[in-house]
Amino acid sequence: MPDRVHIIGVGSPFGDDRLGWVAAESLQRSSVLNSLEPGRIAISIMDRPGAMLLALWDEADHVILMDGVRSGAVPGTRHRLTAGDVTDTCIPATSHGFGIAAALQLAQVLENLPNRLLLRGIEMDVCCTGFTLSAAVTAAMPHFVREIEEETLALAGAIHPFRSKTASESSFFAR
Amino acid sequence: MTEKHQIPIRVPVLARVEGEGTLELRVRNGAIEELRLRIFEPPRMFEKLLEGRDYTEIPDMVARICGICPVAYQMSAVQAIENLFGVEPGPWVRDMRRVFYCGEWIQSHSLHIHMLAAPDFLGYASITEMARDHAHEVRRGLRLQALGNEIIRLLGARSVHPVGARIGGFHHAPARAQVDALREKLQAALPEAETLVRWTAALNLPTEEQEFTAVSLRHPREYPMNEGRMVSNRGLDISADRFESRFVEHQEMHSTALHCLHDGKPYLVGPLARLNLNLDRLPAPVRSLADSLGIKFPSRNMYHSIVARALEIVVAMREAIRLLEVYAEPSAPYISVTPRAGTGYGCTEAPRGLLWHRYDANAAGVVIKARIVPPTSQNQARMEEDLRTSLQSLGVRQGEAVLRRRGEMVIRNYDPCISCATHFLDLRVRELTHA
Repeated sequence: MPDRVHIIGVGSPFGDDRLGWVAAESLQRSSVLNSLEPGRIAISIMDRPGAMLLALWDEADHVILMDGVRSGAVPGTRHRLTAGDVTDTCIPATSHGFGIAAALQLAQVLENLPNRLLLRGIEMDVCCTGFTLSAAVTAAMPHFVREIEEETLALAGAIHPFRSKTASESSFFAR
Repeated sequence: MTEKHQIPIRVPVLARVEGEGTLELRVRNGAIEELRLRIFEPPRMFEKLLEGRDYTEIPDMVARICGICPVAYQMSAVQAIENLFGVEPGPWVRDMRRVFYCGEWIQSHSLHIHMLAAPDFLGYASITEMARDHAHEVRRGLRLQALGNEIIRLLGARSVHPVGARIGGFHHAPARAQVDALREKLQAALPEAETLVRWTAALNLPTEEQEFTAVSLRHPREYPMNEGRMVSNRGLDISADRFESRFVEHQEMHSTALHCLHDGKPYLVGPLARLNLNLDRLPAPVRSLADSLGIKFPSRNMYHSIVARALEIVVAMREAIRLLEVYAEPSAPYISVTPRAGTGYGCTEAPRGLLWHRYDANAAGVVIKARIVPPTSQNQARMEEDLRTSLQSLGVRQGEAVLRRRGEMVIRNYDPCISCATHFLDLRVRELTHA
């Protein structure tokens, strides 16, 4: 049976924190991904799902999580990490504060990680407020979406594994 | 002569409570002289935001008050506005609203039991730590929470801040096949929920009993959720429009969350209050389960709240199964309403307790004034009362770590949802002794 890939855009409606949503919406319109057979690709848009991330990826072989990143890099920098890169050991205070790093820690303890989990993000402009993306993130978005299209095809077994040569590999993930 | 010792005790994180606050104790000669749970929740002005808004906007706006119990805010709001307009949406809408609410009880209670409360009773700092030794139980909790979310999505389109509810009913009716698939999942998970109840009852819970007034809704036939009269174990029995005559909110200088008192005194709302007052409304299999636990309900042990939550998960799953078994797609998922001027009241049972709404609107259905009294505001005085009793009983000379841990446990037991901010408890004990 072909591998199933679940792409999850995480964020909120505010400023660059919505970039995971915007990328997911672009991918939902992707002719490349829509040409794959039904059931191979799932795309979700989530508003801070917390521990429910584990339930979301239950039926997927591979998962790509997309979110805003704050690492100190130049706004618009594209990031690519794997589950093992997430080193945030801060235990979440509440279910409200239960973010991606905490969900990954819990998934590791419960041995519930997908076969491959990629964390893809774009460095946010912290000065960006309101309900639109900053200029830096807007400019980075088309390349980011293309990379994820290719990465998804690779994970789904549709093409040879793709590895971005330009995305930064920071060891800090914002959420 | 009075000697003052100020012993600041810093608690880096009040983990597993949805809010930000400080617990301040003033102790004199071994007795608690003053206790304040200071809540820093910034005023969110939600009631003011609703003024000037069309009635059609209200369900989606109030859903944004809370990410964990948005259905409760929507259900109290639609009830109040339909009460104002004098409309009755009919049996299909009534049943589906109850199903919708069942979803929220299942997800919220599962989250609180596993992520917030259980680590206390098993000696862990977090669910992640607990999962190392209790992976099966944590997985079970996540599965139940996900099922609750799935019910909310069925009718609300999404589980966080759902958008399916409207005045008069729902925007969309789910397809029968979708309903059947979900009902089968609920049926399959029911034994897990019943096991959860027995697991909570077997936890090593403190045994202290307290006197308190319990307030909840009560319905002539059902376990209360969307409707009923407000009753207490002290003889209260009123409809939602009389709330303001017996319940008064006031501002305490030390807290930005209003304190609500019933006839001038603290009271309890939430799962234990509901269960204590509605044992005879439990479905028969759930009553048998409750009777088999070795716990005498009604209970005066506040720590039995976790057992009450687990029992309510079973109630909600059984109710959802029962209502979805006879599901039929309606000709329309809502009724049309005609606005009129007036005042409307709504009161439903949020996972954490009574949630009361009042709206005044003009003839066009534009909200002139709104008032919302959430459960955490109602429980705040009771929490302080409980803290005072529990810490005094424990012994205030136990040392800061012990006091802090017990204080956090007492607060968490109420499942307060104070704000969506980062959450810290700074416990400060000021000890005064006579030389």
